[in-house]
Amino acid sequence: MTRATSGPASRPSCGAAVGDERSFRVALVADRFVNPAPGGLDGLAVLAAAGWGVMQLPDDAYPAEVARLLLAEVAEQVEEFSRHGYVFVLIGERAGLDEALHAVGVPVPPGITPASAAELSEFLSAQPVPPAATAARE
Amino acid sequence: MGVAFVAHCLLNQNSKVREGAHCAGVYSPIVDVLRAEGWRIEQMPCPELAFSGLNRFWAVREQYDTAAFRRHCRRLATAVAGAIAARAEQGEDVVLVGVQGSPSMGVTITSSDPERGGKPAWPDGTPEHTGGEGIFVEELHAELDRRGITFRVAGETHALATHDEGDQRARLQAVLRGGGG
Repeated sequence: MTRATSGPASRPSCGAAVGDERSFRVALVADRFVNPAPGGLDGLAVLAAAGWGVMQLPDDAYPAEVARLLLAEVAEQVEEFSRHGYVFVLIGERAGLDEALHAVGVPVPPGITPASAAELSEFLSAQPVPPAATAARE
Repeated sequence: MGVAFVAHCLLNQNSKVREGAHCAGVYSPIVDVLRAEGWRIEQMPCPELAFSGLNRFWAVREQYDTAAFRRHCRRLATAVAGAIAARAEQGEDVVLVGVQGSPSMGVTITSSDPERGGKPAWPDGTPEHTGGEGIFVEELHAELDRRGITFRVAGETHALATHDEGDQRARLQAVLRGGGG
């Protein structure tokens, strides 16, 4: 079974179903939405409930060289997903991401820096059905 | 409390080998425990995704144990170890959360079959799981040893025949609280 639609939903179950449950949807997510400060927006919870995979971007506190190496690895993986029709979004921002994606020939995906869970959910719901999900259904 | 460096697929099941995604995106049973225990989450890269791609076959450790894959893993390990070192320098506790049974991300259980190769057809239930680390974890372990960084390990167990979500949760909690897994 593949998930063809997006949008906020109750948390998808993990492991109970038979077959491949991937959503073909991946969000590049700034660290502050994965590890929110007290009172901050828990983007990871919203993305989990909506069935999106997460690729975490390096914490801004990391030394520049550490971040550069990690961003290069993120970019290579984005390139692989992109060639196979997976859909990407960017949640928040990360210095150096544009350059890393450019180096592998991938554009920066549509993005948002959400102020609320509702705003993030609405943004996710508006994304197109991934070509890979359509192909998997056929 | 500390920092859990988790296998890529635990936040992104889209990276799994085909027919291996247990849920749509985030593998919540692990994330929920880390959050409840107050641990910071850091995602590691998927060693297999960037090397063999999304259309890779299911594989055992011997099929990935090549000079080229180890070079790739050492490159990733250098990047991840830099992040771990930055946390360790702050005095933070570090736990690696891998994927038991994985040829690259297993922390105490990997997959082994010295004969596997050729046309990709083999019966289900092949007794391939064996004690040991996956290739990437082995390389990361070596890099952290070289830097003098200590850590503990835990593993997601979905691929094991003995998988039980309650046991998985309890073992992860034990590791996070400083005990054995």
